[in-house]
Amino acid sequence: MGENGAGKSTLIKVLTGAVTPDEGSIELDGHAVVHNSPAHAKALGIAAIYQQPALFPDLSVAENIALGLEKPGLFRRIDWNERRRRARTLLDSIGAAIDPDATASSLSMPEQQLVEIARALGARAHYLVLDEPTASLTTREVDKLFDVIRRLRSQQAGVIYISHRLEELFEIADRVTVLRDGAVIETRSMADADRATLIRSMAGREISQIFPKSPAPIGEIALETRGLSCAHNGIHDVNFTVRCGEILGIAGMVGSGRTELAETLFGLNPATGGEILVRGKPVRISRPADAITLGLAYVPEDRRRHGVILDFPIAANLTLADLRGVFASGFLNRARERSLGREYVDKLGVKTPSAAALVSTLSGGNQQKVALGRWLLTKPSILILDEPTQGVDIGAKSEIHRLMVELALQGIAIVMISSELPEILGMSDRIGVMRGGTIVGTIHRADATQETVLGIALETAS
Amino acid sequence: MRREWSLAAAYAALLIAMAFIAPGFFAAENIRDMVLANTPVLLIAIGMTLVILTGEIDISVGSQFAIASIAAALFAKSGLPMLAVAAGAIALGWLMGALNGAFVAFLRIPSIVVTLATMAILRDSLRWSRGGAWVQNLPHSFQWFGFSQAGGQAVIVVIGAAVLALFVYLLRWTAPGRAIFATGSDAEAARLAGISVQSVRFHVFAALGALTGFAALLNSVRFEDIQANGGMGLELKVISAVVIGGASVNGGRGTLFGTLLGVALLAAIGPALTFVGVNAYWEKAVQGAIILAAVGFDALGATRGTHARATAH
Amino acid sequence: MLAPRRTEIALAVILALEVALFGVLGQNFLTGANAFEIVRLAVELGLLALALTPIIVTGGIDLSVGSMMGLAAVTFGILWRDHHFPIAAAAVCTLLVGLAGGALNAVVITRFRIAPLIVTIATYSLFRGLAEGLTGALDTFSNFPQGFLFFGQGYLWGVIPPQLFILLIAAVFYWLLLERTIIGRALYAIGLSPEGARYAGIPVQRRIALVYVLSGMWSAVAALVYVAHIGQAKSDAGNGYELLAITAVVLGGTSIFGGSGTILGTLLGLFAIVMLQNGLRLAALPVELSGILTGAVLLITIGLDSLRHLGRAKPQSAKPRTADSTDESIDVKNSQVAVLSAVILAGSLIVAGSNWWLVRSLRDVHATSTPSHRAVQIAVMPKAKGDPYFASCKRGVDDAARELGLDPIWDGPADLDPAKQNEVVEGWITRHVDVIAVSVSNQAAISTVLRKALADGIHVLTWDADAQPDARDFFINQATPQGIGYTLTDEAARLLNNRGEFAIITGALSAANQNEWIKYIRERLAAKYPDLKLVTIRPCDDDRDRAFAETQTLIKVHPELNLIMGIAAPAVPGAAEAIKQSGRKDVKVIGLSLPNLCKPYVHDGVVQAVVLWNTHDLGYLVVYAADALANGKLKRGDTSLEAGKLGKIEVRGDNIILGAPFVFTKQNIDRFDF
Repeated sequence: MGENGAGKSTLIKVLTGAVTPDEGSIELDGHAVVHNSPAHAKALGIAAIYQQPALFPDLSVAENIALGLEKPGLFRRIDWNERRRRARTLLDSIGAAIDPDATASSLSMPEQQLVEIARALGARAHYLVLDEPTASLTTREVDKLFDVIRRLRSQQAGVIYISHRLEELFEIADRVTVLRDGAVIETRSMADADRATLIRSMAGREISQIFPKSPAPIGEIALETRGLSCAHNGIHDVNFTVRCGEILGIAGMVGSGRTELAETLFGLNPATGGEILVRGKPVRISRPADAITLGLAYVPEDRRRHGVILDFPIAANLTLADLRGVFASGFLNRARERSLGREYVDKLGVKTPSAAALVSTLSGGNQQKVALGRWLLTKPSILILDEPTQGVDIGAKSEIHRLMVELALQGIAIVMISSELPEILGMSDRIGVMRGGTIVGTIHRADATQETVLGIALETAS
Repeated sequence: MRREWSLAAAYAALLIAMAFIAPGFFAAENIRDMVLANTPVLLIAIGMTLVILTGEIDISVGSQFAIASIAAALFAKSGLPMLAVAAGAIALGWLMGALNGAFVAFLRIPSIVVTLATMAILRDSLRWSRGGAWVQNLPHSFQWFGFSQAGGQAVIVVIGAAVLALFVYLLRWTAPGRAIFATGSDAEAARLAGISVQSVRFHVFAALGALTGFAALLNSVRFEDIQANGGMGLELKVISAVVIGGASVNGGRGTLFGTLLGVALLAAIGPALTFVGVNAYWEKAVQGAIILAAVGFDALGATRGTHARATAH
Repeated sequence: MLAPRRTEIALAVILALEVALFGVLGQNFLTGANAFEIVRLAVELGLLALALTPIIVTGGIDLSVGSMMGLAAVTFGILWRDHHFPIAAAAVCTLLVGLAGGALNAVVITRFRIAPLIVTIATYSLFRGLAEGLTGALDTFSNFPQGFLFFGQGYLWGVIPPQLFILLIAAVFYWLLLERTIIGRALYAIGLSPEGARYAGIPVQRRIALVYVLSGMWSAVAALVYVAHIGQAKSDAGNGYELLAITAVVLGGTSIFGGSGTILGTLLGLFAIVMLQNGLRLAALPVELSGILTGAVLLITIGLDSLRHLGRAKPQSAKPRTADSTDESIDVKNSQVAVLSAVILAGSLIVAGSNWWLVRSLRDVHATSTPSHRAVQIAVMPKAKGDPYFASCKRGVDDAARELGLDPIWDGPADLDPAKQNEVVEGWITRHVDVIAVSVSNQAAISTVLRKALADGIHVLTWDADAQPDARDFFINQATPQGIGYTLTDEAARLLNNRGEFAIITGALSAANQNEWIKYIRERLAAKYPDLKLVTIRPCDDDRDRAFAETQTLIKVHPELNLIMGIAAPAVPGAAEAIKQSGRKDVKVIGLSLPNLCKPYVHDGVVQAVVLWNTHDLGYLVVYAADALANGKLKRGDTSLEAGKLGKIEVRGDNIILGAPFVFTKQNIDRFDF
């Protein structure tokens, strides 16, 4: 286990051969595993189920399962009945009531996950790595899954079960390894572990980075939501406020709905219920342009797909969210764009030979600065940042934090979604903790510790 | 299967309307003639379905058809037995398709661009070499394969049915067939599952070419001579049939049953309009409207799959 | 995105090569006059290519642009002629129709979220179909006022075609829109990453809709230019243009995946294609080579580009895009390309100047030699090179050429295409041939350019189908449309004993000469055969297979039919095969076709009569007449002409009469081989 960004996913990728390690070795049954690759790992009996199911959307469940494990002759007749039977058996073994003939794209996310689990089971995996498998399962389904895991265990198979749901771990795990910042902190038998120690292991670290959060004058309420819900992405009854000059940190485990909240606020997935109030006035945000007009800005989590246009130059990325504002006449002004580019490259400290370089040539941290810069250009009054320093090096990280503080001092209200506890604790004036699509608790800076935050984030909904 | 059923319903409606307005439409000869004229179209549509299932397209089939038709006639004239003529036509078609396939699969040039170019190159090469001359004075063993008219017609229909059955089998019951669906559905996942995506792409174009060559032969044996510029507008007809039949242009979805219905629907429109007495020059408008209706109808009840994967396309 | 890539440089090099190659091979290629003619040809195609560029930049496509030209042309004609709109108002309404068509595409693509390829395949059919439906495919509008026609056919300051300015306006418009406005910036973003654009607040669907609406409008503008250019508005306007336009855009470096491309690139691609066609023509190379080379150039250019990309980044994303569309290693500035192109152009002009001077001086040398020893350069054009009828005329042309020691040019559109005919003639004028002999697809369209040829001192003949009388010296008349129509009708009447029902299978519903024959058939029926009824007319698009299918249907829909009359060469054997296979011995088949195509059916008794004339003699006579004309042996006022083995041919006024239509029957058909 470990908090977001501790290195769990990377570890899985190394095990399954998708990523080559720089150092160290993998040993399987006493034999070293050399030159790992997806095919090799599969042959060795290592299977991984990720959080994002990778099924063929147009093919049936039975076929998805079959393609994962069949190696039939070129023109040998496919036995669909056999496929269906096998799928049925596998699905039953994990208690999934899914029709083998259903098209994969018609299934819900949790259902797709179950199919993937069934597929991995079908591939006779000896070593099954499950990455947050129960994120979207009901209790009943979780129980069924645990039955299967127990069965596998009794068959001498090994299961690496990655989760942040402590209760589940207590129920199913024999041993627990805690990862933090990419390294193993400790491994202990589950019997010896208790909640508090585990949380401390996950969180406890020297907060060596200095987050220069100086208190900013906190003004009136800039953004408020009342009972905000969106049927399409699962958020419901979200109530919070954020004031000018304030940084509201949003914490929560993966799947708790943080990005979904941001997307609804920004009009990417408009709200279906509840209210949004900007500076006290109720507003309707049905598309990003509405949000921008109201002074909102959103730096998204997926930097490469949503945050920047990789094949655009830096300067073009910077002006993209406010074309009307920058080029009032409607015509591009290359000189103005160039000077804006230089200005922001300097201001943000983007390491690049010129503002005409393509964003794809920049490092992750610098790309993030460009993504941020684009929104700063719109002179927002409410800035939503989704994982602003994810995949960013230390130097860039503190620069971004310094920037955030400056913005807060200018009176901008900032909502910061982050999976990094130190960042949350260091930067936020208040912290909203999300779980299951809503905010379950709000803590003031003074009362917040890593344990308290994690504690709220990790409690199961009963 | 939604599309197939709504399409079948539309087709049934058309037939019912014809039963009232022009019952002569259902005369045995008319049905037989429609089937014969469109069996070649069906063969090509089968191949096109394979290509579209992988998410590609081929607009050069009309030119391939023309070349294969002339080639078949020339083979026959040179004295080869019909079996060799057939093999030759199919092989030639395969080669032309393989050319497309090579550019698409190995050079990764978008299929619309490749087949745009080969369409022009093939058609104009044929024009240049033939100068508009038909191939006449074919040996007697050519028309109807040397059988009687009724015999030859039966052979054509049987071959058509056999090819359809073969490809239904291939698509559903063999690994290469499933690989086509997988490639079209998600090429990356297919690669990870061990499918050679390049190979799939190459072979579907080659298969389409072979089927086109075969179709050209089946069409040519209905006549005593072969004209110089066959297959005009064929690609449009075939693609329309496949798309109306429910195949998704993004790949991964489609059935041969739907393609069959699409071919049947488009085949019926021309004669139906004649029977009803509508002037010939409204035909294109009707065809265009039907395509729009067919895809629009589907989109109104947009499935999750379409929406989730649609970008600007 | 914004800096031109290597493709554009490659294109400039190709252009330069073309200029060099055709400068040597083609006569008068590198002249100012030719340059402007190239431009004139390029305008209609160019308008479409420009409109397509932003669409392809967003990752979409529009196959309906050519069909919209047809619909717009027809609308224009109807409004002006039938509803008496003033020209300007008709033009404006035509633009509105274009906007509406574009809007249809836009709505279905952005609201219903259907792939542009499919939507525009549907509207490609729909628009053309509407155009054909509205006019019955055969109605054509001409006799537009001179002021309007000036835009397409005139010259400003003696050299510059007016439509060049329309192209320039469109180019500037699109250049501004795509590369200079915020809308264009949004379009590039959408093409590179539609989701990324959305997250940046760009109204993606709105922007996409805009480019399709504009495309419809500019297609309508292209239609107006086309109508002004060839002087007629018909439903087949723009047929086949969409694919050439897409080729121009893709050749110009715009990635079919979207996200990159420039207007300059499109213009370069456009000129590469047009220059290729023009150059080939001036070098007297066949028109088919143009299609082959265009396709090959497209494949090679894109192939090279693709190979370069394959060598670099590995594809990350799954479905849509695997090609990275930018060049990071070489950052070429716009200015560099401009300099390069300018250098090439300057070089060409220098070569042009000297070449022109050279050609000029050579011609002067030629002019001093005695006329009767001069090798006459004749250029003969059929309506359609691919038509077996014309293929057989060519044999006569070849025979006569052999006898006279001449080397005539034989060129023309592959299929019926009046616009192409004009282009070819323009090329011949530039080449300054001695005699032009045309079988005219459309009178109004061709006459303007033929008059130009006359003014230039070139002799003009028409054969098989006439132009306007003042546009040519003589017309070689093998049979008048009246004669043909009457003969066909009389034959039908004879076979049916003056009573019964028959149907006509014609070539294309829009074919002018066939419609003329139909007119005379009806006339003859009304005058002489009241009991003989023409039940229906079906087109076969010059496709034998189609004629076959149509006939099959016809005899079922109208079981009382006694006779099928095919009035296009492929129609008769097609209909005959259908009748033969149906076993309906009671249905007779006659028509206008080549004897060779019909021989087997005539012998089988399926076809009773074939009406034609000796096509061989026709082609033969064309060459002899042309030669006589060039050498001054044939002048107005002559009453006869010596034509080799044909002997003395009657000349009546400005008509050279080959003879009356000939009826081929079982008795005599074996005597002929064409």
